[in-house]
Amino acid sequence: MLGSGGAAVMLLSGKILRVLLFMVFLAFLFQGAKSLATYSREQIIFFYLSYNLIDTLAQLFFREVYRFRSLVVSGNFDLILFKPMSPLIRVLLGGADLLDLIMLFLLTALTTAFAWQNLHPTFMDILLYVILLANSLAIAAAFHIFVLGLGIITTSVDHLIMIYRDLTSMMRIPVDLYVQPLRFLLTFVLPLGIMITFPSQAFLGLLSWQGVTVSLLFGIIAIFLSLRFWKFALTKYSSASS
Amino acid sequence: MRKYLTVFQISWQNEFVYRLNFVLLRLRNVIRLLMTYFLWQGVFLTNQTVFGYNQSQITTYIFLVLAVQALVLSAPSSDNIGSEIGSGDLSNYLVKPLGYLKYWFTRDVASKLLNLLFAVFEVAILFFLFRPVITFPASPLAVIAFLVSAILAMILYYFLSVSARFVAFWTPENTWGLAFVIIVIMETLGGSIFPLDVLPQPVYQLLQLTPFPYLIYLPIAIFSEKIVGLELVWILLQSSLWVIIMYLLTKFIWKKGLVVYQASGR
Repeated sequence: MLGSGGAAVMLLSGKILRVLLFMVFLAFLFQGAKSLATYSREQIIFFYLSYNLIDTLAQLFFREVYRFRSLVVSGNFDLILFKPMSPLIRVLLGGADLLDLIMLFLLTALTTAFAWQNLHPTFMDILLYVILLANSLAIAAAFHIFVLGLGIITTSVDHLIMIYRDLTSMMRIPVDLYVQPLRFLLTFVLPLGIMITFPSQAFLGLLSWQGVTVSLLFGIIAIFLSLRFWKFALTKYSSASS
Repeated sequence: MRKYLTVFQISWQNEFVYRLNFVLLRLRNVIRLLMTYFLWQGVFLTNQTVFGYNQSQITTYIFLVLAVQALVLSAPSSDNIGSEIGSGDLSNYLVKPLGYLKYWFTRDVASKLLNLLFAVFEVAILFFLFRPVITFPASPLAVIAFLVSAILAMILYYFLSVSARFVAFWTPENTWGLAFVIIVIMETLGGSIFPLDVLPQPVYQLLQLTPFPYLIYLPIAIFSEKIVGLELVWILLQSSLWVIIMYLLTKFIWKKGLVVYQASGR
């Protein structure tokens, strides 16, 4: 839903500016530093672009989650439950935003051009990257379904979803830059590293086959558990205020 | 003055009513700090100094960002003013014997003091977790000048964010656009992620002509004694000048806004 023209242009400009400013900062950082841990400038920028791509994809598909609290608090969620369609599909995927779509096109173009120019991927690298991107979207969906379920139980979604956004923003840099046990926590407990760092590592040829398998396994388990949790949460819905 | 003291007390109590909200907000600030911290730790894995900074100086900088951000950037006004104008709720304030700008400034100060209190605890916890080497200023004058510059930054941010939210007078249905652009610029060019003097000199000098470095970077640079003597006086004067400019601009936009305000939704 595009609001008034001026405000929409401002929002889009802000989003583009945010990506470009941090990208310029990362590039500039390498004028003072030889490398960042074991990564080169091009690799670090690619990690950052991939983070933006996955983050924007998740926002494009799951933006309706941000509006879920008012439905639960007001009791208007009843009206969705009555309808002959999956309530989960409605509250998870029902609010795509045109600005996110434009942003996704711009980011895809920028990431593709950057990778083509600087990283020279093979067909296999690209294929693995695309498969793991789809897996990232599945993990992101699972996160959002968990937030929806918690929203029904606790009637508080706003801060939870923002904490999810902040946690994912930690993945603007590769997960292996974090120390243990934080790295383990971010990779395997909240599988943000699997969701955001692993696709880029696969693209750069830095992820083993075991890593790819574990990643796909996490995607399947995350979706399965989130759907079970959603079903459980629905049984706790009290239809408040209606 | 008494009525604003009452507003202060009520705001302080309000923050305690929504305790979970407050704690989650603080948690979000810590999460953001962790990304910056580990990015720089990654840099220092393979480099002794970067742009003239060593690891302890950068760590000190990042920990100070958390404290200065709590004082300068936390502001309930920026979440509410736009929607109050857009929904027509502003009318409730206009009929009361209360200055709208003073009311929100008082609420902001109450929130900032509470945030600062929590930030001190957070810095202490992070300090014991990561055991960083932190550099403290040798001169008490640096601490006093830091406090003055941080208070100026707090006032400057208030006028900056409020004037951006006043766009709602002209586009009541969409109040977020301009404020979002300002937040994005402030995040990067205010000094939250990196000290601004790592930038090439012409870029840094150009930035000093904008209000952004006075919010985060310059107060911390004063604390770190990177800015001393006559330069320190000059920076404090420039910061005061920005406060005056933004105050006049905010008052101007407020008056113009009230002329077009239609209390839509009422």
